[in-house]
Amino acid sequence: MIRIEYETQRLSLRFFLLMLALYFVQVGFGLMLAAQHIDPKLLAGTLNFNVARAQHLNLGIFWILSGFIATMLFVGPLLSKRELAAPWLIKFLFYALLAVVAWNVGTQVLAQWGIAGWWKGQPLLQEGLEYLEAGRIADVVILIGFAIVCYVIVRSFPPLSQWNEIHWGLGLGVVALTAVWVFGLFFIERLDLQEYFRWYVVHYWVEGVWEVIHIALVGFLLVLMFKADVKSVGYAVFWGISLVWLSGLLGNAHHYFWVGTPEFWQFWGSLFSALEPLPLIFCFWHIYLDAHQDGKPVANFPAFAFLLGSVVLEQVGAGILGFTMTFALTNVWSHGTWVTLSHAHLALFGTFGMLGLAAAYYAVPVVRGVERFDQRIGTLAFWLVFTGMLGLGFAFAIGGTIQVFVYRTLGLDWFGGDVAPAMLATKLLVPIFGLIFATGTCLLVFDLMTLGYRPLPATAARAPAVAVAAAPTRWSRLLTGWEAGLWLLAMWVFGAIITLGLLSFNLDTVRQGNATFPYLMGGVGYPGLLSVTLLFVWRFLSSLAARSRVPQAQAAPAVLAQPEPVAAI
Amino acid sequence: MSCAKGQPCEEGLYRRVALAVLGLMAAIFLALSVASFLPSRGQVVPSTVSYAGHQAVDGKRVFQAYNCMGCHTIVGNGAYFGPDLTKLYGHVGPAWLEAFLPSAGRWPTANAVKLQLQNEAVARAAGTDNLDAYLARYPAAAERISRRGGQVTLMPNLPLSREEIGKLIAFFKYTSEMDTEGWPPVPRVDGLTFPQAKPLPGAALAAVAPAATAAAPSAPRSEIAEGKQLTEDNGCTACHSPGQEKLVGPGWGGLYGSTVTLADGSTVIADDAYLTESILNPDARIAHGFEAGAMPSFADMLDDKQVAAIVAYLRTLKDRKP
Repeated sequence: MIRIEYETQRLSLRFFLLMLALYFVQVGFGLMLAAQHIDPKLLAGTLNFNVARAQHLNLGIFWILSGFIATMLFVGPLLSKRELAAPWLIKFLFYALLAVVAWNVGTQVLAQWGIAGWWKGQPLLQEGLEYLEAGRIADVVILIGFAIVCYVIVRSFPPLSQWNEIHWGLGLGVVALTAVWVFGLFFIERLDLQEYFRWYVVHYWVEGVWEVIHIALVGFLLVLMFKADVKSVGYAVFWGISLVWLSGLLGNAHHYFWVGTPEFWQFWGSLFSALEPLPLIFCFWHIYLDAHQDGKPVANFPAFAFLLGSVVLEQVGAGILGFTMTFALTNVWSHGTWVTLSHAHLALFGTFGMLGLAAAYYAVPVVRGVERFDQRIGTLAFWLVFTGMLGLGFAFAIGGTIQVFVYRTLGLDWFGGDVAPAMLATKLLVPIFGLIFATGTCLLVFDLMTLGYRPLPATAARAPAVAVAAAPTRWSRLLTGWEAGLWLLAMWVFGAIITLGLLSFNLDTVRQGNATFPYLMGGVGYPGLLSVTLLFVWRFLSSLAARSRVPQAQAAPAVLAQPEPVAAI
Repeated sequence: MSCAKGQPCEEGLYRRVALAVLGLMAAIFLALSVASFLPSRGQVVPSTVSYAGHQAVDGKRVFQAYNCMGCHTIVGNGAYFGPDLTKLYGHVGPAWLEAFLPSAGRWPTANAVKLQLQNEAVARAAGTDNLDAYLARYPAAAERISRRGGQVTLMPNLPLSREEIGKLIAFFKYTSEMDTEGWPPVPRVDGLTFPQAKPLPGAALAAVAPAATAAAPSAPRSEIAEGKQLTEDNGCTACHSPGQEKLVGPGWGGLYGSTVTLADGSTVIADDAYLTESILNPDARIAHGFEAGAMPSFADMLDDKQVAAIVAYLRTLKDRKP
């Protein structure tokens, strides 16, 4: 697709641009937090860590949601084969979103003076709960915004009887998005009950809603990019969503291990959340199949790179790293430490952030009617952002392993005197990788903002975005299904090592103060997992980039068997 | 779900099976949820916990209003920037918290905790008004005093009022009593005597930050420096700022030599005699806008020479603007 087919698809552009702006600011706050971790006195009293962190989390949620809305507005007319319903409402939604973001940035600062705006027992301005820091006024506006999204999406779709799996995925996704938000709208006196309902919003958003929207959107973007068969993608979407909900509904139990809820959650949480990676493996496999159903060159390389990054980091960050800490016996150690940060960053930015960026790279040129653009910038930005994020995951995971040992095993609870100095080396790594990440962010925000307004450099060819070689080398030869499977297996092997490393904190020798085992396992597992991830994505993209260099006839063997057999899994 | 024309359509079956399994999961989840919050579970609820007349529920509101979770963790959730607060009350006790929270600038010293034990409500909650008994009862407080006492903390100085501090402590008392199924795990080694646990040089550096004092206008410098040290060691700075801002008590900046309006409307010059009296017998002449009983007497804790040193220090602050 080079031009938009429906006029209302243009409405997606403003949400993509808003997403990029918020993303840029959020990364700035992230760097600020990294600096404060090294020097906790930095800006203390002016911009306290908790305020900067609340902004970092909330802007992260806001830009991911902007990306979702933008993508749904872009694909909505294509799915419906007609214009979007109520364009004026979408314009209103945009300004409402701008207003609520600005309002929330402003009210979060009030935490420095302990002002929550209590009114009839509800915190109107900000409520100091992780991820749900927004006050009740912003909450209600957001609820209305979600309702508008639901209305527009569902109204635009064809009649219910004509819905395919992608319609169902998105339709259920937006309705559930609104429904679970309601559980965050009350002040709850009991801490255990408050945590219980807080995870309704946080876990079910991520695991029940965003994941579903993600599956549906990845599926449809694959249809658009590779002309994949809607029906075969539909199978993947159906099974993906079913597995997400079957594992994720009870998987929420892994948040109820230590928050004051009874012990039986440890059994259910360990059992069902261990199944949560299943749909992600499914999604992973499908992007491989769809990308290889023909041997044609990839028309929009950055868009595919981010889409692949999204699915792979979903596998690694959400799937594998989530799996390592989902058992009560490993979670008892990882809970409340930096170990969880590696999971959170890779899963949230990787899965959902990169999806928005992939969609932006696909949609922005189309909406602006740009036929050719310099894809090298976007590809370079992808590599910077991707390696930066993997590096952050490494720093957080190793720092977290040290933290578990010092804080939990040795019981040293002086953060300024014992814990932070022990973690210092990894704390220094965070801004280093953070700067790599931020460079990529600046590059891609600049590229997408100005795409189509800059003259095309003479050297920028149509597709080859990776360094050009004469013919496919060993590294860029066709990626077979077997090989992709082996890469995935290697990731899981390292995931198993990490899991055993966390489990080893239970060993008596470790509890007596010998850190060798967990340090060794973490020291092998995390760098192993993250480098395999990096190499795999490099390998995958090289093999796709090589397609643009070979004549079509030679690429013919790349056509694989029909993707349908996947549905039999 | 869509079915291709002319082909056997089993998708409806898949969908029904998936929905049935999902329904089963939801039923299990709901049953477990109900069982989690039944009274028979015996979990402590905040409405039954209070501390020195403050309700734990009110404390939870303070906890949220300051977004404490944005730096600390509670039941393990939060920001990992500072320590977990769930079991803190049980480890350090109320007097240590009372001494620490008003001015997070410095870690409390033994005297600052002792001072809090003079407060009847605190002593009742702690179970003793004797410092040694207190430290024996709350070894984590003893450890904090000996390792950190008087040093700079990294927690920013939040404008917590006395009232809010009491409520927060009530909340921490509640979380400390919660059954969290054995989390966090209890360490089996003493990290302090463990060779790998020595603080790195950076930690020592951070602790030696503010040292220099203002030049002495009238009294010898050593007395002023001693007075400043005494105000920090005895927890005075928990309630009084060296500038002009009002924390719990009045700020000291520009106080010396100024005219103070008392609660009964009369005025007095804040001279040596008035300041000395205010330290030894604070309720004798309360300044307008402050409550009697808020400040304890230091008569048992400071000798005349020490009080004189503090007054000498206050004298150096008379020209200090905010």
